[in-house]
Order: sequence, then structure tokens, then C-alpha cells
Amino acid sequence: MAAAAFSTSAGYRDLRRMVLGQELVLFIAIVLLFVVVGLINPRFVAERNISSIFLGNAYIAVAAIGMSMVIISGNIDISVGSLIGVLATVSGTLAVNGVPIIICWLAPLVIGIAITAGMGAIVAYFHIPSIVVTLGMLSILKGGLISVTGGAWITNLPPEFFLSQTRLLGIPTPIYFMIGLTIAAAAWMRLSATGRAIYAVGGNVEAARLSGIDPAATVVKAFAIHGFFVGIAAVLFATQLSVIQSTVPPNLELTIITASVVGGVSILGGTGTVIGSTLAAILIAAIASSMVFVNISPFWMRAVQGVLILVTVLADLWRRQRQRRGL
Amino acid sequence: MKRFAIIIATTTALTGAAMAADPWDGGDDLPTNPLACDGTPGTVAAKDYDGGQPTGAADKAGQEITLIDIPKLVGVGYFAATTEGMRQAAEELGNVKVTTDGPTEANIDDQITFIDNYVTQGVDGVLFAANDPVAIAPVLKKALSSGIHVVGYDANSEPDAREWFVNQAEFNGIAKSLIDSMAAEIGEDGKFAIVTSTFTTPNQARWIAEMQAYQEACHPNMEWLETVEAQEDNILSFNQANTLINKYGDDLDGIFGMTSVATPAAAEAVTQAGACGDTAVVGLATPNAMRPYVESGCVKSVVLWSPVDLGYAAVYVMRAVVDGKLSPGDTEVEAGRLGKLQVVNGSEILLGSPFIFDKSNVNDFDF
Amino acid sequence: MSVEARAARPPFAYHHELLLLIVLFLVVGVLAVGTDTFLTVDNVLNQGRLMTEVALVALPMTFIIITGGIDLSVGSIMGLAAIMLGVAWKNLGLPLELAIVVSIGVGAVAGFFNGLLINRLRVPPLIMTLATLALYRGLAEGISQARSVRGYPEWFFVLGQGEVFGVPTQLWILLVAIIAFWIVLAKTTFGRSLYAIGFNEEAARFSGIPVNRIKLIIYTLSGTMAGLAGYIFVSRVSTTRSDMGTGLELDAIAAVVLGGTSIFGGVGTIAGTVVGFTLIQLLKNGLALSGVKGDATIVVIGTVLILSILVSNFLQRRRGAGS
Repeated sequence: MAAAAFSTSAGYRDLRRMVLGQELVLFIAIVLLFVVVGLINPRFVAERNISSIFLGNAYIAVAAIGMSMVIISGNIDISVGSLIGVLATVSGTLAVNGVPIIICWLAPLVIGIAITAGMGAIVAYFHIPSIVVTLGMLSILKGGLISVTGGAWITNLPPEFFLSQTRLLGIPTPIYFMIGLTIAAAAWMRLSATGRAIYAVGGNVEAARLSGIDPAATVVKAFAIHGFFVGIAAVLFATQLSVIQSTVPPNLELTIITASVVGGVSILGGTGTVIGSTLAAILIAAIASSMVFVNISPFWMRAVQGVLILVTVLADLWRRQRQRRGL
Repeated sequence: MKRFAIIIATTTALTGAAMAADPWDGGDDLPTNPLACDGTPGTVAAKDYDGGQPTGAADKAGQEITLIDIPKLVGVGYFAATTEGMRQAAEELGNVKVTTDGPTEANIDDQITFIDNYVTQGVDGVLFAANDPVAIAPVLKKALSSGIHVVGYDANSEPDAREWFVNQAEFNGIAKSLIDSMAAEIGEDGKFAIVTSTFTTPNQARWIAEMQAYQEACHPNMEWLETVEAQEDNILSFNQANTLINKYGDDLDGIFGMTSVATPAAAEAVTQAGACGDTAVVGLATPNAMRPYVESGCVKSVVLWSPVDLGYAAVYVMRAVVDGKLSPGDTEVEAGRLGKLQVVNGSEILLGSPFIFDKSNVNDFDF
Repeated sequence: MSVEARAARPPFAYHHELLLLIVLFLVVGVLAVGTDTFLTVDNVLNQGRLMTEVALVALPMTFIIITGGIDLSVGSIMGLAAIMLGVAWKNLGLPLELAIVVSIGVGAVAGFFNGLLINRLRVPPLIMTLATLALYRGLAEGISQARSVRGYPEWFFVLGQGEVFGVPTQLWILLVAIIAFWIVLAKTTFGRSLYAIGFNEEAARFSGIPVNRIKLIIYTLSGTMAGLAGYIFVSRVSTTRSDMGTGLELDAIAAVVLGGTSIFGGVGTIAGTVVGFTLIQLLKNGLALSGVKGDATIVVIGTVLILSILVSNFLQRRRGAGS
């Protein structure tokens, strides 16, 4: 009876969908990559390197969780790179000035939520497309940050500050954040009312409204939660090196959006999972590392990356077409 | 399906071509001029003045002048330091006003627009650090023909687009300092790798080319393993350095960082990998960025010139030009607390030898 | 935006363009008072020269966004075309005139590839052009091997740095392009089809509009204009670099959106886009001439972008409610 109940539950449907979905494609791609490159250079699959790949890009995966939620709700946030730069600078500046470490870690979350919720409110209640609001915000944050700091290095940080450099049971802390938050977020998206509302609003606003969901409030919530993840990503980013350059990391928003999109989150809204985006972030990081191991000329790295992104997306589309045709 | 197959084929072809291509080393293909191994200064052939001249510049000798400084980008510690140097010089001279403005990314497109705006505004002099030596030339020439003085620093333009260029150190001098420092730490048969910024940055490419030439001539048993590029991104540089450490393991004796973003990131990677002492990190960086690593002993020395002095000298050179104290054909110029600076290569002014920061002096600086 | 609201409004939202025009005059007025180097013939013409690349790319971008799509790869196409110009001339030894044609042709092919995959494989435009943004930039980097090509003959610079009848050469080209695009959008069946597609693609298909062919055309057009922008830029700066055009797409999209084109599709005009990129360029320039530094300028631009759409939406709703 339990089995019967399970086989009709939302969890089972999800599991089934994932097994046949983009998440599987990505998982296979990751495994394939490790096997192939590992054969070419066994050091690629050494524990050190795998740890580096996961560790160095954990913050991208975490940020992609929030971004996926925003995209699932039918919106986008291209200011995320600037926001991470600002939050990381805030965190570091507080730490250098003797503020208790726990506040240095929590302040980016609070500020992140405030800013993104604000953007979400403008999108939802003033009906301005998210691409416009976040495009404007990107400039405001970047210009503001440079005006205030001039790109100065934040140095002399207290040693307790470096969250990303700690380990639990031998595994770097950011990896726990990445995996833990992904699973928690995936479950939350499926099981909570707000989570399901985000899917509904992204899929069909009118249908969502008719079933009693408040689309505007849902969008604001999606943005706010996104701010939470951006805050965590900023702390992971800020605590990775012993010095912080108080500037906006170049191209970060593109990488995060790519991770979400390659992860199967549909830009039309309404479908995709955060598990997909985390797997995609891992895949992108693994590809970057593998290209050094395989001695690909740096001139061609970005081209190869672009093609691989295209292939992954096409593979997903092809798979969906086949499903639709009932094969 | 067919299209899918085409994509796969293209990927494989691209990857194959990419792998078959000559391993990139990061250097440009211009002729190199390595210094003598024992440090005897090279003979510099006297070169005629080859800079450009402004047309119809107002005579402002002794009067207050307004200068604009447009570095490669704003918002990085290195150019914040040059700005500070300029501020110091302006304060000392008393009759110079200098402002720094520039793009937020090291992009030639934006830098040109900035310079153009200030030409229209009508400043007395433009100081610049070029993102691209050729692309910046048209707008600098426009400045010259509007009667504006043009002096470059840090990254040169084509000679006839500016009057003078303040060179922090000769390319081959920097190369020698870097390679010698590395050889001292890892020994004559050590293996090293290089982390640089983008491969389209002219300065880095020049340094690397000179480093190779010098290393082949004077430390022939050292082995250059690989060069990776890492934009101007901290974490990307960190990841790339980590990848190098993971790829070569014990074979990697030293890492060069070619930018003030790459060197701290490489030092961090070495520290976190627990390889301090086993893997040396030598590079160009600012003291602030390297302080934790120098203090922990992970990095023995950091090679740089003083960007503060660089900015300081640039303003003094500009003042001398306006006052008529520096003209084409002169061989030296007076630069405040830096004393007399030599004119080399026709229209370049040499700041001096590279400066080495180490544990004893890293705390004396704040940039 | 709900379906009914979009249906109630005619696709030509003139009041937004009017509002923007008022803002433009206000901005110009304030800045002209603030500094006397701003409102001179020389300066304004020079600004025209500097904004040509973004403007040329913003025109087909208007078409694309009206159909509900987007093209993020224009900056990378511009860089690729620029590189190909140099490579075709120096490395392949083609005569310079042919190299120019080849480089613009490469832009067209790149755009065509975008359109092809968007059509046949139903890849959402955002994803497709996000991937080609990386791919084309990567091709530019790989093909150029980080080498620049310089040393062009004198006649080559006339386009980017020269003048015809006292007006910068590229500005004439821009003028022709603006007129051409405006005519197509406002006066032809093709233009009306774009609105129909943006409004409801399925319905457009059912009413016999050759949606696929149109989409292919506009993406190819976008690539071609990016290629042309590349040629003009190389002529302006006398060298080629693989990082040319970085960020171009965001500048173009900002101009188009500021001009009143809705990102949801179905609404927009060329006039709006023209006012959009003019406003942004003059604002940046005027602020710079007034002594405002670069970082503060981009804060202003970002705020202007959000505020103007905010105000425009607000006015629209009031107008909609009252009518």
C-alpha cells in the first residue's frame, strides 16, 4: 500500500521525470567527462582535483539555485554579478572593522534579500519587465560599488572569517552548502505552497491567478528567496581567498544564468529544477578544468565551452521532442 | 538529428584542432632582447625622439593646469595606487589639478569614449594607460591636434600618438627580475607555470616573451610547463592555479602570476593546497594584496615597481612638458622626489629598476 | 502583461515616444546649461560617430524584440566579424575590399545560424543566443590567436574616422539604415507581421504569415548589422581585437527597451529606439562633460532606465483606465 501511494505521489513523479530529464543528461555528461579526461590524465580524477572543481564553483551553484527560482517564475536577474560583488565587499569591510563574524556572514543575506525583494516588487507591482529592472540595477550597483571603494583590496581579514576555507569531516564547507541547499531547495520547490506557486506563475499566470495564487506576491517571494541564496553565495565567494578585491567579478551573471539554463530551467518559465542547475554548474566547472588538463589551447577554450553548452541544450530539446513523439 | 550530428562533429573537430595547435605560451611574437645574465646593463642604442607633438597648445608655463588621467580601468587596486601617486605630485607642485576617470572594464571601446569626452571638454593634458596601443592612437592624435598634451604611463600607445611615455621598467628588466627570483627559490632545474590575465593584454604578452628569452639564455635547465589565462577575475585565477597544482602535482615547483589579480590568487591556491615551501609563487602584485602571503612566508618576494611612483612621475613629466622643461631630444627630466629620470628609446622615460617587496617592507605600503 | 491589456492598446504606443522625446529635450537642455561644450555641432556629430555601432545593432534588435525574441550574441558577432576582416586580409591574402565583404558576410552567417536553430530546433532565443554569445566570441579568440591586424591603407579609415559634407561618414550610413528600418516596420506587410508574431505566434502562423522565414530574416539581419558595426569600428580604431563589442548587446537592448519596445513582444517602434540610443548617448556624454565621472554616470543611466519605464507604465495605466 505504501508502494502504491508512493507510485502516485508527487515525489515519484518527480523522480521519474528527473530520470528521464535534463538532470540525467547532465549527470551522464559529468560522468562521461570524468571518465574520458581521467583516462587521458589520471590526475584529473584525483580527490584533490575533484575537490577543487566542486569547491571553486560551489558559490556559482548556490547562486544558480536562486536564479533558477527567478527564471522558473518567468523572470530573470542579470544584476546578480554586481550584487555578489557588493555583498562580498560589505561582508569583508565589516569583518575588517571588527564586527562579530556571524554578523559579517549574515549581513549579506539580509541586504541581498532586501535588494532583490525590492527588484521583485518593482517587477511585480509596477509591471516592469525583470530584464529592464535588473539591467538598470546592474549599472547602479556596479557604479555605486566602484564609486565607494575604487576597487581597493580588503586585506587584514580576521582568520575566523574564512568560511569557505573550513572543512567538516575532511570535506570543504562550501560543498556542504552546495549539496545541502540544492536538496533543500528542490524539496521546498515541490512540497511547499510557495514553491509550487512559483512554478504555476511561471507556467501560466492566468491559470495561477484563477486557482487562487497571488502572482505578484509570488514573484516578490521568488526574488526574495533568490536574494537569500545570492547572499550565501557572496559569503562563500568572499571567504575563499585571504584578500577580497572590492570590485564586480566579470561575467559572473552570465555564468550563473548559463548554469540555470543548461540545467534545464526553461526560460519560458514553469519547468526545471534546481538540481539541474547545480549539476550544470558542476559540469561547467569540470569542463573548464578539463580543458587545462587536456592541453586545449586557451584561444579555443571559450569556443569549446560555447559548443558544449549548445550540445547540452540541444540534447535536452531532442530528448523532449522524442518524448512528445512518444518514442 | 542530422543537425545534432553536425554539432557533435564540429565539437570534435574544434577540440581536435585546439589540441593540435601549438601550445600557447602567452608571449607575443615580437623580437626579444634579453639582458645579460650577470646583470651588466645592456647597451641601449640611442634613438631619436619619436613621440607626437600637440598642435597649437596654449602656453601655460608656470600656470595652473587641469589634467585627466584615464587608466585601463577604474576599480582596481593597481590604478587606485597610480591615482594616489598623481595626487601626491599634484599636491607637491601646487599648480596641477588631476582627476582620474575611466571605464569599469578593461575595454578599449569604452576607454576611447572617455578620452574623447575629455578632449571635447578641453583639458590641458591627458594621462593614459592604454588597453590597446593601436586602437587608442586615433583619439590620442585627436587630442594632440586639439592642443592637448598627451603623456602615457604603464601601457604604451604607438609612439607618435603621445609626447612621452613613462615606463615603469624595461620589459627585459622585469623579465630578468622575475626569472632570477624564481630561479633563486626553485633552483636551476625547477619547473614553472604561468598564470596571466587575458591573452590580448600587450604588456603581459611582452613580459612573457622576454621571460622566455631570458630563461633560455641564462637558466636553460629550468622548464616552462604551461601558461593559463584567467581574465582579471580573482576566483577564476584561483581556480586556474588550483588546476595547475592538481595537474602537475609535485612536478610544479613554481607559479608566476603576471597580474596583480593572478599573483594573490596563485598564492592562495598554493597556501590552501598546503604546498607553501614546495611550490614557489613569484609575480607582479601590490603589497596590500600579498600581505597575508608574504607574512606567512608562503611568498618570499613580490616584484613590482611602485605604481604610486609611476603616477607621481607621470604628473611631473606632464608639468615639465607644459613648462617647457622637457622637450624632444632631452635625455633626462627632473621628477620631484624621484630625482632625475632617464629618457630611453626615443620618447620613453624610465622610472627605474623593479622594486622588490618582501617581509621586511611589505607593511610599509598601502596600495 | 495580460492578454486583454495588450489587445486594447494599438501596437504603436506613441505616447511613450513622446514622453521620451520630452525627456530627451529636458536632458539636453539641462546639460547644455551645465556646460558649454555639450550642445555644439562638433560634439553632437562626434557623439553620432561614437554611437553608430550600438545604433546599427539596436535597429534589428527592435524587430527581434517585437517578435518576442532576443539576440544576446550581437556583441560577439561584431568581434568575430572584426577579427575575420583582419584575418581575411592579412592571413588569407584577400584584397581589402573583399575582406570587408567577407567579414560582413560572416556576421550574416552567424545570424543565420542563430535563426536556423531557433526555428528548426525550437531553441528559445535567449538560450540560443546565450550559447552563441560564448561560441562566437570563442571563435573570434581562436581564429585571431590573440593577434591584432593593423596597417590598413588610408582609404579604409574614411568610414570610421572621415567625414562627408562635414558629417561623420558612418552617420550617413546610420541615417540610411534608420530610414530603411523605419519604412519596413511602419509601412510594409513584413513589419506588420512582426507585431503579429510578437502578439501571438501561433495565431500568426495560422493566419498564413511565414513565421519561420521572417524569424530567419530578422536574425540574419541582426548578424549582418553586427558585422557592419564591426567593420565601422575597426575603421574607427585602426586595429582588430577579439574582445571588440563586449557588452554591445546590453547597450542595444537598453536602447530598444527605453524606446518603448516591450520585452514581451508586440509593441515597439523604430522612432522609439532612435530616441532611446540618442538619449543614452547624449546623457552619458553630457554628464561626462559636466564633470560627472564614469562610475556615477552608469548609476544615472541605470536609474533613468528604470524610472522612465516606471513613469511610462504608470501613465499608460492611467490612460488605459480613463479611456
